Amino acid sequence: MCQSDNIYLPNLATIEAIVDETPDVRTLRLVFQDEAVRESFSFRAGQFAEYSAFGSGESTFCIASPPTRKGYIECCFRGVGRVTEALRGLEVGDTVGVRGPYGNSFPIEKFYGKNLVFIAGGIALPPLRTVIWNCLDLREKFGDITIVYGARSESDLVYKRELAEWQERDDVRLVKCVDPGGNGPDFDGKVGFVPHVLEEAAPSAENTIALVCGPPVMIKFTLPVLERLGFSDDAIYTTLENRMKCGVGKCGRCNVGNVYVCKDGPVFTAREVKAMSQEF
Amino acid sequence: MPQIITEANLRNLIDLLVKEAKLVVGPKQAGSVVLYEPLATGSELNLDALPRRSSKELFFPVCEDILTYRKEGGVTKVSDVDRSRFPETVLIGAPPCDASSPSILDAVFSWDYHDEFYLERRRKSTIIGIACTKGDDACFCSAVGLAPDAQQGSDLFLTPLKGGGFAYTAVTGKGESLVAAHAGLFGNAPAAEPVEFPGQDTEKLDLAKIKNWLDRHFEDPLWESISDICIGCGACAFICPACHCFDINDEGSADNGSRRKHWDACGFSKFTNHASGHNPRDIQNKRYRNRIMHKFKYYDDKFGKTLCTGCGRCIRACPVGIDIAEIISTIHGKED
Repeated sequence: MCQSDNIYLPNLATIEAIVDETPDVRTLRLVFQDEAVRESFSFRAGQFAEYSAFGSGESTFCIASPPTRKGYIECCFRGVGRVTEALRGLEVGDTVGVRGPYGNSFPIEKFYGKNLVFIAGGIALPPLRTVIWNCLDLREKFGDITIVYGARSESDLVYKRELAEWQERDDVRLVKCVDPGGNGPDFDGKVGFVPHVLEEAAPSAENTIALVCGPPVMIKFTLPVLERLGFSDDAIYTTLENRMKCGVGKCGRCNVGNVYVCKDGPVFTAREVKAMSQEF
Repeated sequence: MPQIITEANLRNLIDLLVKEAKLVVGPKQAGSVVLYEPLATGSELNLDALPRRSSKELFFPVCEDILTYRKEGGVTKVSDVDRSRFPETVLIGAPPCDASSPSILDAVFSWDYHDEFYLERRRKSTIIGIACTKGDDACFCSAVGLAPDAQQGSDLFLTPLKGGGFAYTAVTGKGESLVAAHAGLFGNAPAAEPVEFPGQDTEKLDLAKIKNWLDRHFEDPLWESISDICIGCGACAFICPACHCFDINDEGSADNGSRRKHWDACGFSKFTNHASGHNPRDIQNKRYRNRIMHKFKYYDDKFGKTLCTGCGRCIRACPVGIDIAEIISTIHGKED
């Protein structure tokens, strides 16, 4: 199928594993059916794909697994609409379509030798998780790694088994939090909103890159905190998650001003985001 | 002596092209309106009115399959659409506002990733444009850099002459080939005057000046004042020769069906709605601003072209009377 010049034709992939991250967020591990595609498919952390449930259509998610882990890709999504509900209805062994990888990526090589601070809220951890594992798999190339991750409630935290793994590693500092009222009696993280918890954790901005992903309201209150901590707009990266369809700069819906998130992004620095028409 | 083709021979040309198994599409009476429709004979060509809808759907259909899928014995198979079956097509009798549209849309469908559904149809098409004598008070092609006799986008261009017949100009190699292949129908004649083109109310606008204002006024009270009444019906986008936003959806069951690309409109409230419920263009004037910005700024930023041919259809179709010509004229008149 890859030989076709039809840009809308997906590769077929088999669901190899399913993980329910929360009551409504699911991870699918996908393996391409065509051996040549399995061998040749490569991507960079930050790129996205169009995933399809045949009969229901396509949805856009980042590739949530790291490019350093070969042989499969993962996507992670909340069941909220027609396509995501259909994808949730599929079982191990079922087929999905995957078009991609699309968009730009995090310039990870530029981060070599630097400290990294990852800041994510809710379902926005998957777009950073690909970078986190990419960097952890090349651990010696980076300085300190800090992860600040929060969700509304304990049950809304995704990748719980990996959070536990990061918590136990001595080469990662994980600061986990939930919104006030979202914590159970045994919660071992912090209670508070991500921007506040980040300010309290106060990672040094010295030789450090911040990678932020979350709902618009979280981004809005996190950027001033990073500024107070001393991060320049060029040292802050984010990935925008606009609604998309084609993924390849044709269909006209993901634009923020004259910037096409699918082609010019989805990864931008805070400086680039601030230069855009403010329509988020 | 000018090169001319008589009206009878133009109709004969259509008959010949149909015999050559080409799909010939031109303005045709369809009930109470004139539409671009396949012509069975030359006699069906109706050059008396501007077609109600644009001719863009010849290259970019309202809805088309982009793949089919079938699940058999537990195995899902996806099949490509056979684009070699797209017919050789001749669009005839398109005024400049329609004939020029593909020359604008080529940019978006061919940059980076190539949309072969559009591009294959383009390769297989020849456009016979005609100087427009049917303008009405909604027309403003002259304002946006075209003119009733603009040849942009046409392979062969016809100019109606007083006393009948058309002067013709082969604009491209495709146009030359078409003339050469049917040389008997084309000839020379003593100079005749072109039919007069109707005047347009709109002044010629400096598109760079409009863009310059748009560059600096993403936030401006104008957006609310012009689009407060927009009901988001999307009619303007659907009949526009240059609007090209689309959606992709599946039709069928999980076991058997097709994936289809179909027109969409930035005026629709759900167009940019996120899965979370957050919508970056959550109110109608932000959506209408995007329409104006896309046509007169964003497309220019990206491709150096204006995404409007001044056909006036959106003005005629708008149920609440929004007039894009008036809007860009207002913007043009702003000092800051």
